[in-house]
Amino acid sequence: MAAYALRRLLLALGTLWLAGSLVFLTLLLLPGDPVQAILGLEASPEARAALERALGLDRPPLPRYLDWLWGLLRLDLGESIRYGKPVGELLEERLPLTLALVGLGLSGALLLALPLALLALRSPPLDLLLSGLMAFLQSLPTFFLGVVLLYAFAVHLPLLPASGFPGWERPLEALRHLLLPALTLALARAAILFRMARGSLLEVLSQDYIRTARAKGVPEGRVLLKHALKPASLPLVTLLGLEGGFLLTGAVVVEAVFALPGLGSLALTALEARDYPLLQGLVVAMAALIVLFNLAVDLLYGLLDPRIEYA
Amino acid sequence: MRKAWMALLAWTLALALAQTRGGELRVAVLAEPPVLDPSASTSQEIPRMLYDNVLQGLVKLNEKGEIVPALAERWEGSPSSLTWTFHLRKGVRFHNGAPFTAEDVLFKFNRARDPRSGHTHPEYYRDIQSVEAKDPYTVVFRLRQPDQDFLFNLARPDSVIGPKGRVEEQKTQPIGTGPFRFVAWERGVGVRLERFEGYYEPGLPYLDRVFFRFLPDPNAQIAALRAGDIHVIGLGVSPEAALTLGRDPAFKVVSGTTTTEITVGMNNARPPFNDPRVRRAIQHAVDKKELIQGVMLGFGTPIGSHRSPGERCYEDLSGLYPYDPARARALLEAAGYGPGNPLRFTFTLAAPYPYERRLGEAIAAKLAGIGIQARLEVVEWATWLSRVFRGADYQMTIIGHSEPHDIGVYANPGYYFRYDSPRFRELYAQYLRTPDPNRACELMKAMQRLLAEDAVNLWVMNAPYIAAMRREVMGWWQNQPTPSLNVTRVYLAR
Repeated sequence: MAAYALRRLLLALGTLWLAGSLVFLTLLLLPGDPVQAILGLEASPEARAALERALGLDRPPLPRYLDWLWGLLRLDLGESIRYGKPVGELLEERLPLTLALVGLGLSGALLLALPLALLALRSPPLDLLLSGLMAFLQSLPTFFLGVVLLYAFAVHLPLLPASGFPGWERPLEALRHLLLPALTLALARAAILFRMARGSLLEVLSQDYIRTARAKGVPEGRVLLKHALKPASLPLVTLLGLEGGFLLTGAVVVEAVFALPGLGSLALTALEARDYPLLQGLVVAMAALIVLFNLAVDLLYGLLDPRIEYA
Repeated sequence: MRKAWMALLAWTLALALAQTRGGELRVAVLAEPPVLDPSASTSQEIPRMLYDNVLQGLVKLNEKGEIVPALAERWEGSPSSLTWTFHLRKGVRFHNGAPFTAEDVLFKFNRARDPRSGHTHPEYYRDIQSVEAKDPYTVVFRLRQPDQDFLFNLARPDSVIGPKGRVEEQKTQPIGTGPFRFVAWERGVGVRLERFEGYYEPGLPYLDRVFFRFLPDPNAQIAALRAGDIHVIGLGVSPEAALTLGRDPAFKVVSGTTTTEITVGMNNARPPFNDPRVRRAIQHAVDKKELIQGVMLGFGTPIGSHRSPGERCYEDLSGLYPYDPARARALLEAAGYGPGNPLRFTFTLAAPYPYERRLGEAIAAKLAGIGIQARLEVVEWATWLSRVFRGADYQMTIIGHSEPHDIGVYANPGYYFRYDSPRFRELYAQYLRTPDPNRACELMKAMQRLLAEDAVNLWVMNAPYIAAMRREVMGWWQNQPTPSLNVTRVYLAR
């Protein structure tokens, strides 16, 4: 177990280093620079030179990279060019919202997908209907789904706020602002979870021990919940591990549609502004989140199936 | 009887006043600026939120584009136009409570004219030889040479005045003398302003609070307006949205002029557009009225040179090259292009600008009609800035030039159009140096004509200013003679 944990940790650190370095390299190759993004179209060359010096961008890439790496080792992600604030501080401000959004979206997706999958298996016409609906949902782009929900729930039946975020000081109000975006994310991801759950439930239900249980006269609901759900959820958990990444990218889109100040919208700003330190910090942070998420999924695996060992 | 009438009148007035004062106005803006100091970045988002609302200069532009007093009560120029005396308004205070005096003016302009200070546009102040204070409320500017644009430059957002000695803090915590004081910049969310109780114009402003919210997505903006989250979409409402919102009695649409020339830029130094015949052929091949009708649903005014109809000394040259595909073909043929050897080039569109992109696509389709093959390429904004704008590494592009009164860019051969004309530079220098406003106007018109005759670029139209708002929002500026969502006199009718 200890060796396993150490290997995972090293792997995680390697991933973070690779992700950050790749961003650094990409940004070097990508046209555009932060100075122009700050000063705007018509700035004079003198102003450009002054700002470049102030930001340390007149130095060659290698020392800048080494600086960043040294900072990363000390958990210092540098200072955002655009916002003039430490990257770590900015991440701290934005992370809770994105985590809440992803958490709500994921639990929403599971809460939708699992009962619906169980329901679908009870009756063939319902199965057809639900499978069709889910296939339709999956084919919709997230931003489109977001706009449709926005119009339905915020404009036509004004039940929920359309966009923005009031801050965490008023948790209920904050939750109200998160519901629509989370629902968008949940609907978008529920489709794939539904299909997976339905498929693996079908497979489990064809097993001998289920037939035995049914033959013994165990009620169907109990068969599904007690005997089928747990083994059927294993592939679902694997899928969840992959979903972590999708949820984060989905969050970028959803945050843009609902104007939420989370990591996703921060990443868009950072990219537009060519804010090198911020973008690198964001990628490292997102990679860390995904690594953590995968780790959690792996551990969950062991809980669900005692046959799995960590070595 | 008369007494009763008077009482009634007073009562209605008081009621009207009570109905129009107070409240919070929430305005959507498209993008978050990098800083909040117009002298630290040329991002137009900064003056949109802060010009005259928070930050003021000696003079300012009003809704009609006229130069009117701001922190200077009045001013006079010497007959030679070399000496300008400004009489400052007395009793003005900054939002931090400090009194505004000549010291602040001196600090501002000594910094502005120092090219090493990092001020974005030191060239606006290059002609200033000295700034002196005769007394705490009189400032004298001495110029090296007459500068026709001197007063206009003082009205630019770049010329706003903050408290003496504050430079770095102004970028994130701007302090000014305007009717609203800056409260907070919530990163990624918006900018909050609050009524400044010590404002020098009595009774202003009407609102208690203003919240400029960054809402980059046009769909989200419209949904937020319909849902009542915001009162105003401050700019950039699409023509289709303007038509639908305009039909809804809960909303109204304001449409006016801007200083934005939507310009199909052509690289005058590179084939194929180093040949004036090709550039002229392009002018004849595009029907601007049809474009405006088709793409912009009629919003926008055709123009024929690099100046907007709302600016002074404007000359209408939109008819110089009438739509004439046959003439365009003949010009192309003279330049060596024809069915066997069609004109081919890359047309670079900037991703974030929907008007420009759609116009660009429509223009490319129109050009295809006479056998011109424009390959469309959509690039992201930072890429456009570095490749097209700074590197002039392009053939044709399209972008809105929103800076007011910026014909001078054509006097710079290094500018990305790569227009190199000694004759134009001569005209521009004459314009700047003449002390006579009438002569200056003639020269301004001559410059516009020369650009059009040389067919430097294809100027498609003056971009419309379209804002949409809830019915109860009153006093919104209809035109944008300078980028400014001015809320000084805006109120919510209840």
